[in-house]
Amino acid sequence: MAAIAEASLSAAETRKPRAIWVAIRRNPTIFVGSLVLAVLALMAIFAPLIAGDPLRMAPAERLRPPSETWWFGTDQFGRDVFARTVYGARVSLIVGITVALAASAIGLVIGLVCGYSRSVDGIVMRIMDGIMAIPSILLAIALITLTRPGLAIVLVAIIIPEVPRIVRLVRSVVLSIREQPYIESAIAGGTRGAKLLFKHILPNTVAPLIVQATYVCASAMLVEASLSFLGAGVPPEIPSWGNIISQGRSFFQIAPWSILIPGAFLTVTILAVNLVGDGLRDRLDPRLSRRM
Amino acid sequence: MSILQVRDLRTHFFTQDGVVRAVDGVSFEVGLGETVAVVGESGCGKSVTALSILRLIPKETGRIVGGEILFNGRDLTKLSEEEMRSIRGHEISMIFQEPMTSLNPVLTIGTQIAENVVRHKGVSWEEARRRAKEMLELVRIADPERRLDEYPHQLSGGMRQRVMIAIALSCDPKILIADEPTTALDVTIQAQILDLMIELKKKINAAIIMITHDLGVVAETAQRVIVMYAGRKVEEAPIEDLFDNPMHPYTRGLMAAIPRLDIEAEVGGRRTRLHEIPGMVPVLTKPIPGCAFAPRCAFATDRCRTQAPPYVESTPGHVAACWEVDRVREMAA
Repeated sequence: MAAIAEASLSAAETRKPRAIWVAIRRNPTIFVGSLVLAVLALMAIFAPLIAGDPLRMAPAERLRPPSETWWFGTDQFGRDVFARTVYGARVSLIVGITVALAASAIGLVIGLVCGYSRSVDGIVMRIMDGIMAIPSILLAIALITLTRPGLAIVLVAIIIPEVPRIVRLVRSVVLSIREQPYIESAIAGGTRGAKLLFKHILPNTVAPLIVQATYVCASAMLVEASLSFLGAGVPPEIPSWGNIISQGRSFFQIAPWSILIPGAFLTVTILAVNLVGDGLRDRLDPRLSRRM
Repeated sequence: MSILQVRDLRTHFFTQDGVVRAVDGVSFEVGLGETVAVVGESGCGKSVTALSILRLIPKETGRIVGGEILFNGRDLTKLSEEEMRSIRGHEISMIFQEPMTSLNPVLTIGTQIAENVVRHKGVSWEEARRRAKEMLELVRIADPERRLDEYPHQLSGGMRQRVMIAIALSCDPKILIADEPTTALDVTIQAQILDLMIELKKKINAAIIMITHDLGVVAETAQRVIVMYAGRKVEEAPIEDLFDNPMHPYTRGLMAAIPRLDIEAEVGGRRTRLHEIPGMVPVLTKPIPGCAFAPRCAFATDRCRTQAPPYVESTPGHVAACWEVDRVREMAA
């Protein structure tokens, strides 16, 4: 008797951790991806606590290989690559998150309107096609040369070409949801335009939108790094992974660490975002999730 | 006293292949609290008639081109979109065929019922939620309080159709249009849903327009039947008259096509084949000068093919559009 009671007690105790364990087992990709992103986010937020000044130059300590004092080595100005990489995470995460949120919000509104109104659709979608036809890096370079360089303009330059991708997705979801019997039955119940759109159609677009937003996030980070590498991104005084790689380029043969380490961080971050995106897609797609 | 009068309704669709005369001059009346069944095979214009009454014909392709639909003396074909909205789901509501997809997957059951009440009755959400719970009890869903917060995927097909009925009846409609409400359900659930509808109809005193291709459903629920063929009404009769004494050859064909277990299955060692109506439903893009059923009819004459038949009334309330009514009757006797 006592043994049974004890067993059921211990089962109750372990239920909670076990539930988490089951969730991890079910979606290992989401778990791994978010774990990596959480570590990177903490690193970015607490950068001043874990790393020194990323801009301080130590001419006597130039091009030092990774060691106990300089974990990731130093660059040609004697700057700490570890500190610069840690601070660089801030730029990448800010760019990724801001672009994903802004492009989703703008794209959602335009996509909903396009999917709903045929007259708007014809005009706006041609504009979106036009924007999609412009290579995103060229557009960014053009925008940046027209204005003063800075993080804000980089964000705008990346958001603009991402918007049409979201618009197309939301529009296609709205078009298919519109034909669903439950929308017809909502109309048969007297539901009017705006309410139909926001209450009955909008919630159905959320799942694919979240998934697409993660891909936009990853792509934004990559574009930012490319722009910074080309010298058209964030100003060189701000340490971003693209900047660090760009500045270390001429010393690649004698100091490969100043390129390989920020490059590895960039790769892992984008991989983590994509893992979360893939995991969410599997989880949010009702046809796939039912099988699990 | 009739609540709905449909007079010479014509709903056409304008497609690339030409004008489809989906509903071509249909007239009928629905009395207060009466159940009228509209039967016919797929594509005969049953659903289009129903959608026309609610003015839900997709604007891009179709239009009500003629006739009038009088509801409480008001012509629905002439109302503004705004006025129509206050009628839909309130005074005339509709249940669709597919309970699996007729509920929004992202909204709870409670929200979907309460929304209709809030929209048409202008009450608070708390009040509407109370009404929603009442409605779930009315359609006999167990544990309504819990079900209010559930999503459609947590309910079975039969329960979803009950929820659809709850939504449709939540504002005490005068007319309930049921477009094949039981077609997608299995047989035992069909019977339950039909019983429920008959029972609730008495409670709420709504008229029902039951659209179906199932004569079994008709026999069980309706007081009067309208048989449609190729967008036209071919016969209309009180329920007993129709089953005892069908006048139109098409109606007779439909009845003969019902599988039956009570007649001798084997004749001379061979199984009798299920009767079918020969031929195909006519193409609705070409005008049909005579009787639409003539090409498939055993009684058809040249007159049938060239002149539209008049409605002949045999007994009070029993009319059929056929030139050869007398011959058909002789055959039956």
